[in-house]
Amino acid sequence: MRLTATVAGGIFGLLGAAGQAFFHVIPPPAYGICIACHMRDLVNWIVAHIYPIYGLKGGGALVIPGGPVSYNFPVLTVGGILIGAVIAARVNREFRWKVMRVWWQKPWAEFFLGILVMVSALTFGGCPIRTALKAAYLDMTAILGLIMIGAGVFVGCQVLKKLT
Amino acid sequence: MDLLAPIATVFLGLIMGYLGQRARMCFIGGMRDYYLVKDTYLIKGLIAFLICAFAGFLLFQFVAPALKTFPWFLDGGTVFSKKWAAKGITASPSPLLPAPGDPITWSPKVWAHVVLAILGGFGLGFFSCLAGGCPFRQHIMAAEGSKSAITYLVGFALGAVIFHRFIAPLIKAIFT
Repeated sequence: MRLTATVAGGIFGLLGAAGQAFFHVIPPPAYGICIACHMRDLVNWIVAHIYPIYGLKGGGALVIPGGPVSYNFPVLTVGGILIGAVIAARVNREFRWKVMRVWWQKPWAEFFLGILVMVSALTFGGCPIRTALKAAYLDMTAILGLIMIGAGVFVGCQVLKKLT
Repeated sequence: MDLLAPIATVFLGLIMGYLGQRARMCFIGGMRDYYLVKDTYLIKGLIAFLICAFAGFLLFQFVAPALKTFPWFLDGGTVFSKKWAAKGITASPSPLLPAPGDPITWSPKVWAHVVLAILGGFGLGFFSCLAGGCPFRQHIMAAEGSKSAITYLVGFALGAVIFHRFIAPLIKAIFT
């Protein structure tokens, strides 16, 4: 069977549900796969252990700002994805250093785009993957969020047409 | 200390990273390609993700009976709040609210979540479209050696600190 995006998307969906059902990546619900939230948990866990004032709340206990599943030890999906993708790129000889040509995808611009994407993703609790996962979990705000992502991409495409 | 979730997510991530690199999987890219060139290769992945995640949530709860919560709003999230009361999780009294457990921006008002979903969703779609892929795709491109994607990841990690230091208190002040 050829590995198309359809097959990969189906496997991701099953993995996301399985992570919650079998591997205890819960609470919060529908947390099996998320890029923004799991990166947030990892970063906040590290920052709160370096500067304890960042995580202190109320009674003086160290509470990591993030999903309760990562209070003791953060979930490490981001590291796994990077390692897996490096292995895939090396095995299939697709690794080479490159820089995007267009000015809004030069490294300095992508730095600010990264900040903006993370802030707007955390505003309603999830990267596109977790929004889709929550929408499959029948979360009404996530379904609205998915529709609004579609609207944002539509406006972004109009801007891209103007820019190119 | 329960280390099952961190260890399991490493392996989930490994599988996802490998498959994502081979299939060029991208969630934002699917919509973008459909709008710009009417190409349906990637958006089929998004639809397959939604269907399989729904089927997974529906079926896995019979295999793992500890989590029999799938249409979670039928009981208003009381299962969640009973189980995780010690972790400070509040139940949703209404199916229009998000599933309980995201403690950062949670508020009992429906309109607050509608406003947040509209603002956040639109910003996420717009900026991801400009950046050339969803966060997942940027991780894959960073692993393929794109220097743009590597600086994106640095900004992505910094964005989490900025959000929790400055923007989360602002949202809480406005919506509670």
